[in-house]
Amino acid sequence: MECKFVPSVCSYCGTGCGVIFQVLDGKLVGTLPMKTHPVNEGKLCIKGWNLHEYVNSFLRLKYPLVKTFGRFIKVRWDEALQITADRFKEIIETHGPDSVGVLVSAKITNEENYLAQKFTRAVIGTNNVDHCARL
Amino acid sequence: MKNKIKEWLKSGQIDIFLGYKTLQGHPLPHAFGKDNLEDIDTLITGSNYYPLEKIATKLVAEKPDIKIGMITQDHSQRALNVLYIWNQLDPENIKPLKGDGCSSNLKEHADDSHREAGKSGQFKKQFGMNTHASIEEAEIFAQQERFQRWMYEFQKCIKCYGCRNICPVCFCKQCSLEHSNLIGTGSLPPEAPIYHLVRAVHMAGRCIDCGLCEEACPADIPLRLLYRKVNAIVTELFDYETGSRLDQSPFSIIGESITLKLKPIAAA
Ligand code: SF4
Ligand code: SF4
Ligand code: SF4
Repeated sequence: MECKFVPSVCSYCGTGCGVIFQVLDGKLVGTLPMKTHPVNEGKLCIKGWNLHEYVNSFLRLKYPLVKTFGRFIKVRWDEALQITADRFKEIIETHGPDSVGVLVSAKITNEENYLAQKFTRAVIGTNNVDHCARL
Repeated sequence: MKNKIKEWLKSGQIDIFLGYKTLQGHPLPHAFGKDNLEDIDTLITGSNYYPLEKIATKLVAEKPDIKIGMITQDHSQRALNVLYIWNQLDPENIKPLKGDGCSSNLKEHADDSHREAGKSGQFKKQFGMNTHASIEEAEIFAQQERFQRWMYEFQKCIKCYGCRNICPVCFCKQCSLEHSNLIGTGSLPPEAPIYHLVRAVHMAGRCIDCGLCEEACPADIPLRLLYRKVNAIVTELFDYETGSRLDQSPFSIIGESITLKLKPIAAA
């Protein structure tokens, strides 16, 4: 039996608590708080404690889905990106760039957040960008 | 010590050894296997304590006949005893190897927790109950004040279930803390003091005073003190020090007659 402990960072919020994943035969079975991590010092909130559950959840989306005629259709990443880009172009051409808004997240990294706002302002051409942590 | 573990693994006395290893700068729990015996040279001791006994119960749940060696401290031996008594682990399949460090109040030196004097310590600015108080010190307050002090502590609870999740002797499949008939759902803090008292009562004859729950509590609630009191009562009533012996716990024996009278619950 293969048993591994993998250090990681909680992906649920921007706090970034240190966690240890317990992996049995390639399957994530448990989460422990990392005691020596400077952010959380061995403590977690209820979300962090249950990280392994969402990774294994059968409800988890593992590939892009495109909604066509009310049904979700499984597509490849490049198709999904192309469809999204085309739809955005269409909307912007008809209603202007301010008809688009971008909501970024505490669950992604600082750099990804930066990229998202850059994309919103420079590519889409709107200042409609906000963050889910601004409650 | 390291040679011994290698020998155990090589001879097949154990399939896996649970210890600690530094990974990305952090001392983390680590499972040493027989496929990579050199790995054992990286074993470290005297570091932070994680509930290896609980991890062992998880391994056993997946593979019942797995033979596990593990590094232990005083409290881990008590935890193992409790897990043997409650049939969560089989002493035949567990090989403990004594490491150093102990966070119990039985020892002065707390090697593995923030409780050791001079180390980083608490951020608590205001005490309902002092985390470091002994049972006697906690009892100097008159009943009403004591209750209010505990309530002050309990109301900080964020219901993370960390105290239960980390506890080496919490293994129930269905947990009373999540039972909506016992504890109302949908509120934060959870219903106080019932949430904490339910756990405290269940720790009677179970809690081996390792201190992990208190360390894991984001609200710095002096949980250990609470469970210490519960187990002081157990010792007084049954002459049983939790985890000290391998024979049955007073809570795992089915009695023949009821000796305590039922009491109506006094109105608060
Ligand atoms: S454990 Fe809780 S507080 Fe910590 S990063 Fe995860 S969600 Fe945020
Ligand atoms: S001190 Fe806390 S974590 Fe340790 S056995 Fe007791 S209740 Fe469980
Ligand atoms: S660890 Fe502390 S905050 Fe979390 S549920 Fe237990 S008592 Fe409440």
